[in-house]
Amino acid sequence: MKTDLRATLLRGLAIGMLGVWSLGPILLIVLSSFRPERDIFSPARRFNLDVTLDNYTQLFATFPQFLPNMGNSLIVALGATALAVTTSTLAGYVYSRQRGRLLAASAFFAILVRLVPPIVVSLPLFPIADALKLSDTHILLIVLYSAFWVSMLSVMMKVFIDQIPPTLDEAARVDGASTTQTFLRIILPLATAGMIAGGIFVFVYAWNEYLFAFIFSSTRAVTAPLIVSNIMDSVAGTQWGVLFAAATLQLAPVIALVIFFQKFLVAGLMAGSVKG
Amino acid sequence: MGIAAQRRRFGGLLMLAPMQLQLILVLALPSLYVLWLSFTESSYGAAPEFVGWANYAAILSDPTFWRSLVNTLIVVNIVVYVEIILSIGVALLFQSVKRGRGVLMAMILAPYAVSEVVAVLAWRFMLEPDIGILTGLFSALGYVPNWATNPIEALVLVSMIGVWLHLPFSFLLIYAALIAIPADLGEAARVDGARPWQRFRLVTLPLLMPAILIAIIFRYIFGFRIFSEVWLLTQGGPARTTEVMAVYLYKNAFRYNEFGMAAATGWLMVLGALLLASFYVYHVYRSGFRNED
Repeated sequence: MKTDLRATLLRGLAIGMLGVWSLGPILLIVLSSFRPERDIFSPARRFNLDVTLDNYTQLFATFPQFLPNMGNSLIVALGATALAVTTSTLAGYVYSRQRGRLLAASAFFAILVRLVPPIVVSLPLFPIADALKLSDTHILLIVLYSAFWVSMLSVMMKVFIDQIPPTLDEAARVDGASTTQTFLRIILPLATAGMIAGGIFVFVYAWNEYLFAFIFSSTRAVTAPLIVSNIMDSVAGTQWGVLFAAATLQLAPVIALVIFFQKFLVAGLMAGSVKG
Repeated sequence: MGIAAQRRRFGGLLMLAPMQLQLILVLALPSLYVLWLSFTESSYGAAPEFVGWANYAAILSDPTFWRSLVNTLIVVNIVVYVEIILSIGVALLFQSVKRGRGVLMAMILAPYAVSEVVAVLAWRFMLEPDIGILTGLFSALGYVPNWATNPIEALVLVSMIGVWLHLPFSFLLIYAALIAIPADLGEAARVDGARPWQRFRLVTLPLLMPAILIAIIFRYIFGFRIFSEVWLLTQGGPARTTEVMAVYLYKNAFRYNEFGMAAATGWLMVLGALLLASFYVYHVYRSGFRNED
């Protein structure tokens, strides 16, 4: 009994520490965004509980581009998610149902090129995007973000589609359905869990991505992380409140998404790690 | 092959094409182009000129490159090992908890949703001179931290931000392997009188080892690319002392207009990733054979 109690206490302590580690930095930002500037700056007023929306009104007054930039993030994240999930589900279906040297080579290639660091491809893509008038556009970010996920998503979709019995495809084929029809009517409805899991990975990545946004976007396609970093450069140390308000707005939608869909995320990563 | 089978095969390749095309256009061709660039002298807008190994010689004799390599190795090694040890601990803790797992999982996964920008902001604020919570804590213990002037502290802070952001990923890899271990193995060890630490060291850990190795290699490959955390925190300063390889590459390309040197750095990074991945392939290959006998 005595050791049981001690084990329970130790476990409680460990969970408490884990909570502080995981949620502490997030709560600090969110809670601070609702505090008056003078309280944020003064350690003596650390436990003052005044609540205000001043930081948010100040944010929209000083940085009117903030909401349009959040909109850019939404467009880019949804676009990348749609592109990556569609193309990877098609590929995952082929990987699952067909065999051959060409397919093995294609899967190997998909994993091999994924080893290239993003900063490396930005070198040649920068002048090329410029020449094609694609710099500072949504479509460029959409294609870049999607391309960096299709390798893992295709493997993941293969694992998910492997669980759909091939006898279902065959039955459809015997009934005279074409490959396209089989794919649309049989596979897609049964593969939605995998598609949601993959979609969340891409959405979170695209919503938060900094490097490509920083290199390729200057005005029209500025995304939320980029405007937050611009605000950080201009006001950190002087107007923390405004900065925390911006960070909270950038953070909130995606944290809600991750918590809401956590089961899909866990299932997706486990399917990806089996073979990936 | 019948006509129907041949048509299915062709249809399959057609369905594969959009995914392959993205990889070829965004990843494969650009990296081959970078390989060629690394043997040329060029800057943005000017025609490249072949210079052989000169760019590689230039970066290998540049002390800033070596500094950035050492910094990268420091950060990557802290990140990988701290993260793996924490992941094992958190996975064991999670497995031992019977009630409230949904809440606990949400808590563990939360940092996965946070962008590098916001993570840097949060940690920077906690360590801000005078007003930071952690600054206050360390000062009370007799040490005044200052990442803005001390490069080692800045690199440690970058590493902590990296661990904080990616722990959910490593945790899930390790946890997936942990729940795959049959429960009766631990039970049998307990019946035989093994103490908890012995059970962990002699039963659980050896069975987790393949997953741990995979997680380590994964995190090495992705850790080597680290850019945003460093750029957002220090931009490589003060005086280029906290640059990592990706920051060194970025500055050469976009600040000093040395595309050739940047390309050579890029290819060294690609080769590093290939080398790490070959460890992984070798490991999979060996364990594949071991399972067969």
